Amino acid sequence: MGQERFADVVERFTHGYGNGHGPDPSPEVVRRWQEELERHLRRMQNLHAMVASPTEPKVGQTPRVEIYKSNKSRLYRYQSKRTHRTPLLFVPNLGISRPYIFDLMPGGSFVEHMTREGFDFYLLDWGVFGPEDNDLSFERCVTNILPRMTQKVLESSGAEDLSVLGYCMGAPLSVSFIASHPEVPVKNLINMAGPIDFSKIGLFGLWLDKKYFNVDRFVDTVGAVPADMVKAGFKLLKPTMDLSTNLNLWWNLWNDKYVEGFNALNKWANEYVAFPGEFFRQWVGDFYQDNKLFRGAAVFGGRPARLGSISCPVFVVGAHEDYIAPPACVRALLDVVSSRDKEYVELPGGHISLIAGRGASLHCWPKVSGWLASRS
Amino acid sequence: MADAATTNPLFEMWRRQFEESAAAWARMVTQTQTPPPTDPTAFWRPVLNQGLEQWARLFAQTPVTPDLAAQWKQFLDQWIEAWSRALGQVMNTDAYAGMMGRYLDQWLVAAAPMKKSAEQQIEQALATLNVASRTQLTAVAKQIVELEERLERMEDTLGAILKRLDGKERT
Repeated sequence: MGQERFADVVERFTHGYGNGHGPDPSPEVVRRWQEELERHLRRMQNLHAMVASPTEPKVGQTPRVEIYKSNKSRLYRYQSKRTHRTPLLFVPNLGISRPYIFDLMPGGSFVEHMTREGFDFYLLDWGVFGPEDNDLSFERCVTNILPRMTQKVLESSGAEDLSVLGYCMGAPLSVSFIASHPEVPVKNLINMAGPIDFSKIGLFGLWLDKKYFNVDRFVDTVGAVPADMVKAGFKLLKPTMDLSTNLNLWWNLWNDKYVEGFNALNKWANEYVAFPGEFFRQWVGDFYQDNKLFRGAAVFGGRPARLGSISCPVFVVGAHEDYIAPPACVRALLDVVSSRDKEYVELPGGHISLIAGRGASLHCWPKVSGWLASRS
Repeated sequence: MADAATTNPLFEMWRRQFEESAAAWARMVTQTQTPPPTDPTAFWRPVLNQGLEQWARLFAQTPVTPDLAAQWKQFLDQWIEAWSRALGQVMNTDAYAGMMGRYLDQWLVAAAPMKKSAEQQIEQALATLNVASRTQLTAVAKQIVELEERLERMEDTLGAILKRLDGKERT
């Protein structure tokens, strides 16, 4: 029965309305068909432009100066009115992807928003690591790089204290650092989509479980974790992602603004960064498999990292549909810090759309800047 | 825009079908003793057949207007979402994680000696040509990194001494 009706529809498609097969379409329907046709032509034009003359999207356009560099890592200070006294150090993830996602394009940049709001904004770019950096461990980031970077922030800003904002893996890095270095004057701490309780981490936690994944054998064999392998891991986490991305691109291909945003985001989404081998060993072993930070068993450079020692104001932001760092494992930070001033918000969106895109500019950025402004 | 009221029941049926399929997969993956089906397409056929029927019904109930494109998009979105959910259910099982772990282990066991042998051969070939190998270049880069770190430590020490001297001068 279904087959016959489908054939009828094909018939209608082939011969249309006006050949004696049915009533004439209303002017409204004709107008909408014209509109649809125009959109389709625009789609074809944009598709041709994307394939025939692809343009390199301009990313990271907010003016900045390099304050300090240590091996591959760079500390940038962004131009702003600096109406808030306390500088803000933004600590993103190490490896996986490049940090220009936070300053993707004018009008769609977290950095631009924060500088416009008058924050003295510093970004730590961990850099792209090569085989010579294979010995770089999580511990060295916590005991060497982060203390030096915070020192440089304080020196260059002339402030007595600073706020730290950790995004994704940057949050456990920042939290490990602050908890193990109580002498560092951290005034405020923000955790955006950063996993803390790894017993609630979800799919990655299951795949990287000790029972199934021997991290020592893996690192001993491959050395650094190549960018392609990082990419494969993330693609596997959401296998239908590429399909829906391309479908949405086709649907919105008539819209020049969408295409511009897509090009910039697509550039970022396909630029994966390798993990230094020792970093990956410690990240998976101590965090995913042993959950040491949350259990209070993490020690960095002989200093125990006790989350209870964190007493500054803490703001935690989780994303409702985050499958990389599910809200429960992000929110857990509030259960273990001793801060009196602590707040959690759960926003719509996923791990990336929490901080990049139109949704982020409406929901997330104003909340972060609003919370921080009254405390800076 | 598409008429959601018309299409939603259909998509609901679809979703149910996919969820049932996912449960069937999960059962299949977890029951390792069960031999695999002899005809792999037989497993998918009910899903595909139902999908085709739903499409046909959707077309039959919908007048041919530009809204059809929006309905089509909505249908594909929900179809992808249903697949994503179904795959997510399968991937979120111990059996799947175990299978991935075993596959990775096998790959590592095979890759390690191959990698070692390839590296040795390349090293020998480059040595014969009197060209620096990747290992040698990495070693040099490592030394530069270590030197930079040593300089940074010296900088830190100097900074601390200067601070202390500055403090003494003031007092």
